[in-house]
Amino acid sequence: MMKPASDMGAEQWDLREAAPRAARTALVVALVGLAAGVVCGAIDGGDTFFRSYLLNFCFVLSVALGALFFVLLQHLTRAGWSVSLRRLAELIAGTLPWLAVLFVPLLVPVLTGMGGVYEWADPRAVARDETGLLLHKQAYLNAPFFIVRCAIVFAVWSLLARFYLRTSVAQDASGDPGLTLRMQWWSAPGMLLFGVTVTVFAIDALMSLNPHWYSTIFGVYFFAGCAVGFFALLAVLVWGVQRAGRLTRSITVEHYHDIGKLAFGFVVFWAYIAFSQYLLIWYANIPEETAWYLPRQGDTWWIGVSLVLLFGHFVAPFVALLSRWPKRRRGTLAAAGVWLLLMHWLDLYYLVIPRAHAGGHTTPLHVSDVALLVGLGGLFTWLLLRPMARVALLPQRDPRLDEALSFHNV
Amino acid sequence: MITQPAKLTSLLLELPSPGALLTAAEKVRDAGYTRWDTHSPYPVHGIDEAMGIRRTRLPWVVLALGVLGCVMGLALVWWTNATDPTRFGFVPTHFQGYDFVISGKPVFSLPANIPVIFELTVLLAALGAVIGMLAMNNLPRHHQALFGVPRFRRVTNDRFFVTIDAADPRFDPVRTEQFLASLGGLGVERVVEPPSSDKLPRGLVIALTVLVCLAPLPPLLVAKARLSKSEQPRVQIIQDMDNQERFKAQQAALLFADGRAARPQVPGTIARGDWPKDPHFHAGKVGQQWAATFPPQVEITETFVRRGQQRFNIYCAPCHGLGGAGDGIIAKRALDLDTPGWVPPTSMFSEIVLEQPNGQLFNTITNGIRTMPPYGDQIRPADRWAIVAYVRALQRSQAAKVEDVPAETRSELR
Repeated sequence: MMKPASDMGAEQWDLREAAPRAARTALVVALVGLAAGVVCGAIDGGDTFFRSYLLNFCFVLSVALGALFFVLLQHLTRAGWSVSLRRLAELIAGTLPWLAVLFVPLLVPVLTGMGGVYEWADPRAVARDETGLLLHKQAYLNAPFFIVRCAIVFAVWSLLARFYLRTSVAQDASGDPGLTLRMQWWSAPGMLLFGVTVTVFAIDALMSLNPHWYSTIFGVYFFAGCAVGFFALLAVLVWGVQRAGRLTRSITVEHYHDIGKLAFGFVVFWAYIAFSQYLLIWYANIPEETAWYLPRQGDTWWIGVSLVLLFGHFVAPFVALLSRWPKRRRGTLAAAGVWLLLMHWLDLYYLVIPRAHAGGHTTPLHVSDVALLVGLGGLFTWLLLRPMARVALLPQRDPRLDEALSFHNV
Repeated sequence: MITQPAKLTSLLLELPSPGALLTAAEKVRDAGYTRWDTHSPYPVHGIDEAMGIRRTRLPWVVLALGVLGCVMGLALVWWTNATDPTRFGFVPTHFQGYDFVISGKPVFSLPANIPVIFELTVLLAALGAVIGMLAMNNLPRHHQALFGVPRFRRVTNDRFFVTIDAADPRFDPVRTEQFLASLGGLGVERVVEPPSSDKLPRGLVIALTVLVCLAPLPPLLVAKARLSKSEQPRVQIIQDMDNQERFKAQQAALLFADGRAARPQVPGTIARGDWPKDPHFHAGKVGQQWAATFPPQVEITETFVRRGQQRFNIYCAPCHGLGGAGDGIIAKRALDLDTPGWVPPTSMFSEIVLEQPNGQLFNTITNGIRTMPPYGDQIRPADRWAIVAYVRALQRSQAAKVEDVPAETRSELR
């Protein structure tokens, strides 16, 4: 049944007073976390700090990238159902220009050649390397080219994220349907750019931690995590926003259902990609490839982490989200979202922390890993909440809003 | 020709809009009818509730078949690749499994089996979804009386219909028609099974007759081919590499200027086995005896012995061990696995080896001995002599005296 748009009269779609208050709290938490992270990390040497920073930076970045992917996808498919969710995704992606700034500290280990983070950036490690592979790969893995690539990658993301947020917000004022057409036009090249840049970044920031190793599916693996992280955060965010009494009519049970379906789909996609990578390496059993899995299956702690990922990142959410009803209840969906965010963090922890060579990490889980999660997570929340004081949570004059309001899963 | 009487199958109500369809559907639902349906050119939101349709049980069919596929996949890979045929001797040979070791993995290894299990799960779940959906919708049907009603054709365009089946327990030709008329709309029509003959159409009879007559042909042709004998070679549909163009040794070939298919030796090359051999350097022999000394072609220097060490560690150490005691990783693994028929590699320090002349050691490396394969094709002669020199050094190290250690490093021994 078509709900007329006049039904929306009592709908609240902005957080004018609430957002700055929540943002301030987030900022305080963030600063405490960052300070604790810096102190704890510094005690154990710079390597520890930068590795923890990389882990948690990638965590918040991946969620924002998932949001950018979602926005692009909705325009690419001219989706109507998701209009009432799109502004939330645009706001999450809108943190990307600021995340580009937060990436700058990670250039320190690259420029100073701290081999404990990026082995290839350390000239001594390159000279020591018996295989000669690091020397061979220097044509790609060198500090200037790394910085150029990261600059391009972050520029592309920032421009895309800003373009979509600004254009969409401009439509709130003008109601010009031409803006929708413009956003649609850019979604196709944007999606192509997104695919290439995410792959490049995944290789540069995460795969090059083990510069001897390579996996051709690694970019897809990272992307799968981005999508899982985003849909998990979206479920939590919808729960929070509606608890605050906003968007209670425009986001319906049907939208929960679709967020749940997408989260479920990408959980399975993640498992499919992770297993594809594992199966080939396990079967071929070539030392230069298995080297990546060896430290991850070498001792009880990492075997435990691997098993928690298998059951917590795939089996449990698969069973939990398979049925219709958990996806159609905001509470269960948000609980699944929190769980999946936790698992997504663990997935990145599993990618970043174990190192083939004996690095500075003596304890597998360092205090700074958690402290910086609080710090960067809080900073990310602050970046996300800040614009909510000015920007409405709903693209009220999007020409497809009616479609989203009357959206109905069969 | 006998014709069956026309039979009332259902009553049809035509409606102008989806809204009217929803209202009418709610009323039919509330009147307690169970065997009825609505028809519309496109999906109408809310029609499920308006018709009082329960949620479909199809997901349970899909789940059950998915689980079945999963179990089937697991059973398949277990039976075909992880069962010992001797333990299942009662099973006919054609259906026995093999416990093949593939790539050194355990015979039942989950990672390798997951693709099979995954595919079968997805396959059965998908088949369950499609076939279950068709079955629950009573499809396929090759005839439906509704299609005989001219006004029903607009169901694919701009009209909406409610039909109540005559098989409904509450159906009454008169009262149901009055009920439908009371719902408003554009009119009620009786849907009648058109009078039909019980004789098959002439074209169908002819086609079936021809088909039945032609059907025995293929099996007859197969039977003929199997029972008769032929002088002709069999028809080879797939050639693979069975018949290849090639020349025989003495044939003429116009491709080459000299017209011979056999090609003369290329200048500067020699045929295998034609290399002029020095008995001492290449075979380790002086006269009929094994040479006790190294050949004059090699000079015993530290570089030479180090070269021998490097070659030894590459070619010999996997079995004989880095120290030469016959405890290489292959030997250790074979002992760990309790491999039947395993002959342990000889220790370089056994009496036999200690007593062998240099030439005999060289010969063993070149041609192999017992289960040890020959290495003459892989290691150059000079390198083989270098290995002999290194083996001598190893043997010396095991029987070393304090005097052998240079005076300046002797203090480190304490």
